[in-house]
Amino acid sequence: MRNQYGRLIVRTAAVALGLLLAVATVTSQAPAYRAPRTADGKPNFNGIWQALNTAYWDVEAHAAAPGPVLDLGASGAVPGGLGVVEGGPLPYKPEALAKKQQNYANRLKLDPEIKCYLPGVPRGVYMPFPFQIVQNQKYIMMIHEYAGAVRTIYMDDQTEAPADSWMGWSNGRWEGETLVVDTRGFNDQSWFDRAGNFHSDALHVVERFTARSPDTLTYEATIEDPSVFTRPWKMSMPLYRHVEKNAQLVEFRCVEFVEDLIYGHLRKQ
Amino acid sequence: MTAALLVPVLAQGPQAPSPTARVDKTTAPAKAWKLPRTPDGQPDLQGFWTNTTYTPLERPKNVTKEFYTREEAIEIAKKAAAVEGEETEPGTIADVHYDFTQFGLDRSQGGFALNLRTSLIVEPPDGRLPPLSAEGQKRAAERAAARKRMGAPTDAVQNQPLSVRCIIMDRAGPPMLPGAYNNNYQIVQTPGNVMILVEMIHHVRIIPLDGRPRLPSNVRQWMGSYTGRWEGDTLVVETTNFTDKTAFQGSSENMHLTERFTRVDETTVLYKFTVDDPATWTRPWSAELPMKRTIGPLFEHACHEANYGLANTLAGARAEEKKAAEAAAKK
Amino acid sequence: MRTKLAVVVAGMGVMLGAGPLRAHHAFSAEFDVTKPMTLKGTLVKWEMVNPHSWFHIDERKPDGTVVNWMIEGGSPNQLIRLGVTKNTLAIGTELLIEGYLAKDGTNKAVGRNFTFTDGRRLFLGGSAPGGDPSK
Repeated sequence: MRNQYGRLIVRTAAVALGLLLAVATVTSQAPAYRAPRTADGKPNFNGIWQALNTAYWDVEAHAAAPGPVLDLGASGAVPGGLGVVEGGPLPYKPEALAKKQQNYANRLKLDPEIKCYLPGVPRGVYMPFPFQIVQNQKYIMMIHEYAGAVRTIYMDDQTEAPADSWMGWSNGRWEGETLVVDTRGFNDQSWFDRAGNFHSDALHVVERFTARSPDTLTYEATIEDPSVFTRPWKMSMPLYRHVEKNAQLVEFRCVEFVEDLIYGHLRKQ
Repeated sequence: MTAALLVPVLAQGPQAPSPTARVDKTTAPAKAWKLPRTPDGQPDLQGFWTNTTYTPLERPKNVTKEFYTREEAIEIAKKAAAVEGEETEPGTIADVHYDFTQFGLDRSQGGFALNLRTSLIVEPPDGRLPPLSAEGQKRAAERAAARKRMGAPTDAVQNQPLSVRCIIMDRAGPPMLPGAYNNNYQIVQTPGNVMILVEMIHHVRIIPLDGRPRLPSNVRQWMGSYTGRWEGDTLVVETTNFTDKTAFQGSSENMHLTERFTRVDETTVLYKFTVDDPATWTRPWSAELPMKRTIGPLFEHACHEANYGLANTLAGARAEEKKAAEAAAKK
Repeated sequence: MRTKLAVVVAGMGVMLGAGPLRAHHAFSAEFDVTKPMTLKGTLVKWEMVNPHSWFHIDERKPDGTVVNWMIEGGSPNQLIRLGVTKNTLAIGTELLIEGYLAKDGTNKAVGRNFTFTDGRRLFLGGSAPGGDPSK
């Protein structure tokens, strides 16, 4: 019918225009997406988010490889990844690179994730588990499904880390659409991934969270650690919102799963 | 050194009036207080709170009344605080511990609400746990027998208390009951959720307010599955889906817990919970205790990560066994 | 349904009616009540961790050798709320420690009492508690 045909033309044109705009957004600096606001007028990042990449295996670009537990076959193997580090391999100091290689060689024994230890920053952000942002004016909480790890981002009272911790001490501020989080006060215990990439307690992380669409964020993290790296380096990745109905974090209380691994040798025979 | 001169400056004070507590007629009437609200109109429960208390869960055997006078309650708290602060007898088991007082971990060294109640339990009216049902008695006996079969606490990590294993702390519950120290909570509210962060082991509940169903019945969690709603100015949280290991006061996995949070004044949230578990008790029972505003922050409580003491305990038992075996072999 | 009864040992704190969670039974299993000790040494590091903090101490013996100790202390969280930081106790501070030796035979102990060499108690108070509930 004539009307339907007319509507089809209009619809096709709209789709074409949308595609054109989408391409334009990718290839040129389109205006930033403006996220819905919280009551205090800030971008609303409340929700459940998750990264979709293999950075948790290895933040650097890597081919697929067998995993450290051969009995797991393909299930435990390492998928390849394009890497999330900008500008090539991590800029280790020579002695630090040697330590990284030792970490990798002994990762079954040394990886804190295997022992259900807290993931640290930024590893918690790209673990293969969702995390939930609970945001009010003074505090932005990041609650990770993995090990129930918690980060408190202080938006109001900004103080220095009183002592070292696994998840660090985070002070946050808004720069327009971007949440900037400055974190120090780390211990030297966590890793960046399962490949043995590590840091010292001099670690300083500056993260930038920016909404790029209703259901995605752009996440960037600048890592600075003069004890380990010759210069700061940066990683970036999208974060995806869990949009399924009634999405929620489910307990992953892994301490119980690793007790025999850690204390089994101290059991009475 | 400044730390030695530190004096805790924390909010302490008498329990605020609640629908069930007796009003203290000796104090002057307070200035009219307006319930603060979040931007989306929820009563504001946000901030740092502590539920430290000297009040026992069950009414002491020699007490029949529901409330102490204010003077009696102060006397009891002072006596308990003095006992806490006392030096222990050298060479006794109690002395084999760091001094809580030195680290500010005595209950009197932090804020707490002076509770006039003689017990936290408010229903049944005798302030004590109701009798166990037949099934509850049976399960208690089975659990005790199973624990005996497990052997000594130091035989294996799984024989140690859940808190020592850093799996879960009683402060988290739910229901949330205080322990000896660090009984601190942080509440953050958003239009869709109420988040309760428990300091010890950083346990978190993000309680949805959107009326969703709880998890499927085969998905059990240590802290259960919980949903919340506002009834007037009271947050009502219902929790089911506990594991059979949670065992709050001997409860079954089918315990149905209802918690109520009501902001009653500037520095107090009244917390009341009801346990409904016919598989354990002959009737539901309820308890109530105030959460008092306290200072933050909640510093990271990464328990499992530095749990050297647990390894030391097991290693110590193995070392003693080895010594005993060597001594026996020499004979 | 479940065929095996999953049993865990309930934490002492759950039995709130039985009194405060004070006498941590685990400690007398970890440390030996028959082996009290005193120690004078310098602080190498105060690990401000949970569930209990740990003081790493170097004890200089009369013959010049150095023995490394790990001494168990309390959770640092309340002290942090009262203003204590990782800079409060300087590395090299001399400490006198009374306590009990670990049962596993290593150089570990629980610190019953920490004092400076001038007799001042580390961190907080003597036997008197800090708060007055009537205020």
